[in-house]
Amino acid sequence: MLHNKLFPKKTRGGKIIRQLREHYLRDDIYCGAPFCTVCDSSGARLSESASTILVVDTNVVLNQIDLLENPAIDDVVVLSIVLEEVKNKNLSVYNRIRAICDNSMRKFCVFSNEYHRDTYVKDMRGETKNDRNDRAIRVAAQWYQKHLGGAVKVLLITNDKENKRKASEEGICAETVESYVKSLDRPDLLDLLVRPSSEDVDMEEVEDLRPSKRKVIYSEHKPMSEITSGLHRGIYHQGKLRVNRYNPFEAYVGSESIGDEIIIYGRSNMNRAFDGDIVAVELLPQDQWKEEKSLSIAGEDGDEDEDVHLAPNSADVAPRTIPQQCSTGEVNAGSCRPCGCIVGIIKRNWHSYCGSLEPMPMPGGSGGVAHALFVSKDRRIPKIRIQTRQLENLLDKRIIVSVDSWDRQSRYPSGHYVRTIGEIGDRDTESEVVLIENDINSRPFSSQVLACLPPLPWSVTSEDLSIPFRQDLRHLRVFSVDPPGCKDIDDALHCYALRSIYFLGYYFVSNISPSCRAAYSHLYIADVTNFVFPGTPLDDEASQRGTSVYLVERRIDMLPKPLTEDVCSLRSDVERLAFSVIWEMTPEADIISTRYTKSVIKSAAALSYVEAQARMDDSRLMDPVTTDLRNMNSLAKKMRLRRIERGALTLASAEVKFQIDTETHDPLDIGMYQIREANQMVEEFMLAANVSVAQQILKSFPLCSLLRRHPTPTREMLEPLLRVAAAVGLNLDVSSSKALADSLDHAVGDDPYFNKLIRILATRCMSQAVYFCSGDLSPPEYQHYGLATPLYTHFTSPIRRYADVIVHRLLAASLGISKLPPVFQDRLQLTSIADNLNYRHRNAQMAGRASVELHTLIYFRKRPTDTEARIVKIRSNGFFVFVPKYGIEGPVYLTTRAEKGSGEWYVDEQEQKIKKMDGSLSYSILQTVQIHMEVVEPQPNRPKLQLTLI
Amino acid sequence: MVGLSLGEQFFIQGGIAQDLRCDGRKRLSYRPIYVQTGVIPQANGSAKVRIGDTEVIASVKAELGKPSLMQPDKGKVSIHIDCSSTAEPAFEGRGADWLSADLSNALQRCLLGAKSGAGAGIDCSSLVVVQGKICWDLYIDGLVVSSDGNLLDALGAAIKAALSNTGIPKVQIAAGASSDEKPEVEVSDEEFLQFDTSGVPVIVTLTKVGKHYIVDATSEEESQMSSAVSISINRQGYICGVTKRGGMGLDPSVILDMVSVAKLVSEQLINKLDSEIASAEAEDES
Amino acid sequence: MEYVNPEGLRVDGRRPMEMRQIRAEIGAVSKADGSAIFEMGNTKVIAAVYGPREVQNRSQQMSDQALVRCEYSMANFSTGDRMRKPKGDRRSTEISLVIRQTMEACILTHLMPRSQIDIYVQVLQADGGTRSACINAATLALADAGIPMRDLVTSCSAGYLNSTPLLDLNYVEDSAGGPDVTVGILPKLDKVTLLQMDSKLPVDILENVMQLATEGCKAIANYIREILLENTKQLEYRRGS
Repeated sequence: MLHNKLFPKKTRGGKIIRQLREHYLRDDIYCGAPFCTVCDSSGARLSESASTILVVDTNVVLNQIDLLENPAIDDVVVLSIVLEEVKNKNLSVYNRIRAICDNSMRKFCVFSNEYHRDTYVKDMRGETKNDRNDRAIRVAAQWYQKHLGGAVKVLLITNDKENKRKASEEGICAETVESYVKSLDRPDLLDLLVRPSSEDVDMEEVEDLRPSKRKVIYSEHKPMSEITSGLHRGIYHQGKLRVNRYNPFEAYVGSESIGDEIIIYGRSNMNRAFDGDIVAVELLPQDQWKEEKSLSIAGEDGDEDEDVHLAPNSADVAPRTIPQQCSTGEVNAGSCRPCGCIVGIIKRNWHSYCGSLEPMPMPGGSGGVAHALFVSKDRRIPKIRIQTRQLENLLDKRIIVSVDSWDRQSRYPSGHYVRTIGEIGDRDTESEVVLIENDINSRPFSSQVLACLPPLPWSVTSEDLSIPFRQDLRHLRVFSVDPPGCKDIDDALHCYALRSIYFLGYYFVSNISPSCRAAYSHLYIADVTNFVFPGTPLDDEASQRGTSVYLVERRIDMLPKPLTEDVCSLRSDVERLAFSVIWEMTPEADIISTRYTKSVIKSAAALSYVEAQARMDDSRLMDPVTTDLRNMNSLAKKMRLRRIERGALTLASAEVKFQIDTETHDPLDIGMYQIREANQMVEEFMLAANVSVAQQILKSFPLCSLLRRHPTPTREMLEPLLRVAAAVGLNLDVSSSKALADSLDHAVGDDPYFNKLIRILATRCMSQAVYFCSGDLSPPEYQHYGLATPLYTHFTSPIRRYADVIVHRLLAASLGISKLPPVFQDRLQLTSIADNLNYRHRNAQMAGRASVELHTLIYFRKRPTDTEARIVKIRSNGFFVFVPKYGIEGPVYLTTRAEKGSGEWYVDEQEQKIKKMDGSLSYSILQTVQIHMEVVEPQPNRPKLQLTLI
Repeated sequence: MVGLSLGEQFFIQGGIAQDLRCDGRKRLSYRPIYVQTGVIPQANGSAKVRIGDTEVIASVKAELGKPSLMQPDKGKVSIHIDCSSTAEPAFEGRGADWLSADLSNALQRCLLGAKSGAGAGIDCSSLVVVQGKICWDLYIDGLVVSSDGNLLDALGAAIKAALSNTGIPKVQIAAGASSDEKPEVEVSDEEFLQFDTSGVPVIVTLTKVGKHYIVDATSEEESQMSSAVSISINRQGYICGVTKRGGMGLDPSVILDMVSVAKLVSEQLINKLDSEIASAEAEDES
Repeated sequence: MEYVNPEGLRVDGRRPMEMRQIRAEIGAVSKADGSAIFEMGNTKVIAAVYGPREVQNRSQQMSDQALVRCEYSMANFSTGDRMRKPKGDRRSTEISLVIRQTMEACILTHLMPRSQIDIYVQVLQADGGTRSACINAATLALADAGIPMRDLVTSCSAGYLNSTPLLDLNYVEDSAGGPDVTVGILPKLDKVTLLQMDSKLPVDILENVMQLATEGCKAIANYIREILLENTKQLEYRRGS
């Protein structure tokens, strides 16, 4: 069974070390065909009645992965040597091919040819690694043919000419991908084929690149060895390319070796690099460093103007600004940022993109191959050239395209079509595009995940009650307050006051008066971890999704519906399991003690914010629930006051709410989200719970707790706010969060909306809060700036956030209720989980915003409106306004593109005004203007919202 | 160490005087020599030599390093011998230090030549990669596994065999390197430079017992020696190094005589070794 | 990194429950009273036993039992990197102690009072599992020297990577940072004489891994018995009976 072969390898690490590895050859590796008489066919993956078995080589897998994912291609043997080579070259393609092989519906079999006695290939002298691997593939194909005899035909699929020739010499049937797909007679598959790039195809086979276009547009990429030596010597710098979302011809490379960011201007300097690639940059000579131009709104090269967007609510989403000098427009050599050009790409970050084809005239005759340009929805990606046979079908559809190559002679990269999503403008299609762009998994839960659910219908059993650490609190009067129509109820509240000790027992009092000794307030959170166990498919899926995504018309759940809406949800009048936080407080809302326990509760009422507020306001109502509401409210108010004293920031968000027509699902009305006292009350208790739990878990697990932090904004980030404040004569103290909060409170102007506007501008400067593992940072960095607390985490919404599930597990372990799962001991894995959660959270936010923008567009399509707006940013050819009623922000042009630079208007940076040359008109920041909003279609199938001055 | 009775001692000395040693050999004949190459696959070259009951293993490892300032066009070689305690209980702990140092120095003298690098048995200039900046450092390690006399000869033979088995990878220097820095090198996986061992000398130890000298003494015979001279001679018949051990003084004419005897013996030894090495390599290849 | 790929094969092609190839040879060092070479995969070890003989250091002499001493050393060229100090460093001292204690447990020392038994173990090539190979080699060498023992001592290591218990880790798997359990047993008596583990392992999995290592030890014991039988047959043949 075992056979030993030694082979030395060499690795470099400053020294040359010879490594010796054993390599055992086996004879118990099976071919995977169920009809094979020799092998044990219990694990056979190929189909019973296969007539042709395909053996694919590495390049086919790397380039044609989309074709392989199509269910039409089946009965494929993937050799382990091919898998290894793919893994070394491109990890994402490797993951995809692995997923296909693991999928039990597809007939892909993995054959470990490297360890099979008959198919092991020894290295020959003078053979390169690639040649040896190709030989291994051929030997394996031959073995398969011999092994399965005449029952099936074994076909080697390869595009490599040498390989094909040698295979035919050795008697193996070999075909290129194109010829095989053509033989299948499926024209739709032909579209998925990737054309080889012109660099590795013989000259005669190059088609359709007209001679005039064959001139070289881009400079050559330097070879890797030169790049590494250049990096060593410091002439090149390495970094990740980030393309400006609002101007795709401007990009930044963050470089550690310079300590500043290198700006890349222009298509030729960007030299075929994509956003997210790791690139090597060479600095341009200093006299070519462009000074910062006062940014205008439009981009270069005739590309689209800026769009109307939802008002950004953090610095991550806002358009990038390069900090400008205070002096007026002088050219200082010292104020320039270093500029460079890209000389090589170290690691590509290509994947599939959503978008649509650029409208073009139909080619004469149909059914032929047409070349089309694909425009991605993400503005950072350049246009991609594809070939397709179904041009007329695709012109009005949203499609997914993936990139293959970009050679020097081609202005645009080449790619291939992957699949269609749906029609442009169709609400569901656009929603799906939003989901795909933000990497949100909206597929239904797999059967393995659903198998992890408890048997339904579920109710609390006596077994649950008999567990010692679960307290029976069903007798307490508990209620929940949530948005209207909310079915996934995460949290419920309860409160009662203790009289002074003269009396026996506890009394329910109507008011928390000074004569009370103390108050107990309880917060109950759905006990999700009782149903979601670590290591199960359900847990893995939830961990991947990270959070529920709230689009305007639907919700993409993190956990399956039976859990979110029924079993875990703390609905009224049913018994449910909960994880509770019990505070003993003084009437002044000072916390005396905190206790945590698992419990069983029965909610008395599930109220909406409006209902709760109405009850509290109605002084006639004295029923127990209303009394409790009022008590909680008074406690909450005191807690809030204390928080504000400590320096918590109250920032304004510009959230809008849609009223959706129940039948057509079109938006009926759009309005700003109202914050009532009831909202704030619930919020206070949530915050208090999160802080308490953070303290508890950090105490028990100082190195592996999952916490949430908000980094203090730097001076640079607050720059735009300070400039605006200075322009309107406001003095903002940004030395600490408390100082900023106080300054914001005192920022009152003549009109009532002024304060809110300043707060909105302040919100834009903040960075996002992030999750992190406590072992990765030092305690001073755990701080949450916005909430002014040294520790924070997320505990209160386990139904819709996976971070809370993790914190529940930590808390349960810290109380000794259950064991800590082994994943917490692996710090690297925890960090990657935290990173994933941050990534998913950010994506969910962006998806939510994109969905809102989509619905805004749909709403305004039929309703051109005139409304009031405030100027929030001045530009050289116009300004940006914020529309308070609808919460959107967009550009208003004073000069059209044709007149750009005509000099009719000029900008006064100091006063933040834009003035007409002859002095007749001027607009200053924060000024109110009247605008007209209308949806126009400057290009067919590309509607956009346009704002014009009245 | 062996303890011999008086009778045994006389027997050994008498036998040598009559050209008949304890195991039946003549004074100038060697015990059977077995050579095996490639025993340590991790090293660049290795060999195991067994002369009678003496068994030694030698391994050669090559690493990239900087040449010394005095000899910028030559690589560096260092020889280090270790005596394993499996050979003798007395070698336990630090017990073998003196012997190891003694053997290492003797071998260095014989094989490496003078401080200036002239006359070395091993051609160091083939080890240089980039003059003055990068060269190969050869580390030759010997391990005495079992000791039954004549360690130096066995070690010399083992080193010669190991060197002939050594393959130094070919290096490619990256272009465009600036003159004062270390250039990047790419080490090829496949191609090897076989080391040229025709100039490597062998060592012949002549042990004087009584009035006669014997070649390849066992440890019993060594315990009776009055003095021993180890001479390293290469294929051309040139002497590359001489080491004298033992307490008794020697008449200079005796030494010259020993040298000529050694020259005679060495030819046989070199031929025998070369054929053994060749067959060992052939076996290795197959 | 993937140490057990989805097809169930490890980095070198073995399955999780398989040991590396073993090879043993008796009588490598003719001068010693007993000696053996033991190879587990690429790990190659020579053991030589000198004794029972007179105690060298009078002060250490014990009047009722034999003194067992052991020294472990690695050759300069045994690891990928050249080692500078073959003997006397802490790891060697620790392993020497471990081997000594293990062998002492099985040698019938009361039969040889006032004498000394020296076990010298030399590692020629190290590729994971050197400790186990040394103990196995020492057992063989002791048997070759004819020293009375209660039972053979065999040893094997096992680990836990990618949530799979693996038998007989090689160097690559050992340096993965997962737990490494070395077990030494007396196979006939079914007793454990050596148990060492590093890194973290949940308690319920420890049982599994230990069980696996014990089975590996039993397999090695079978092989050693065969070798000894073969050797005895050879000796008999040479004696001419």
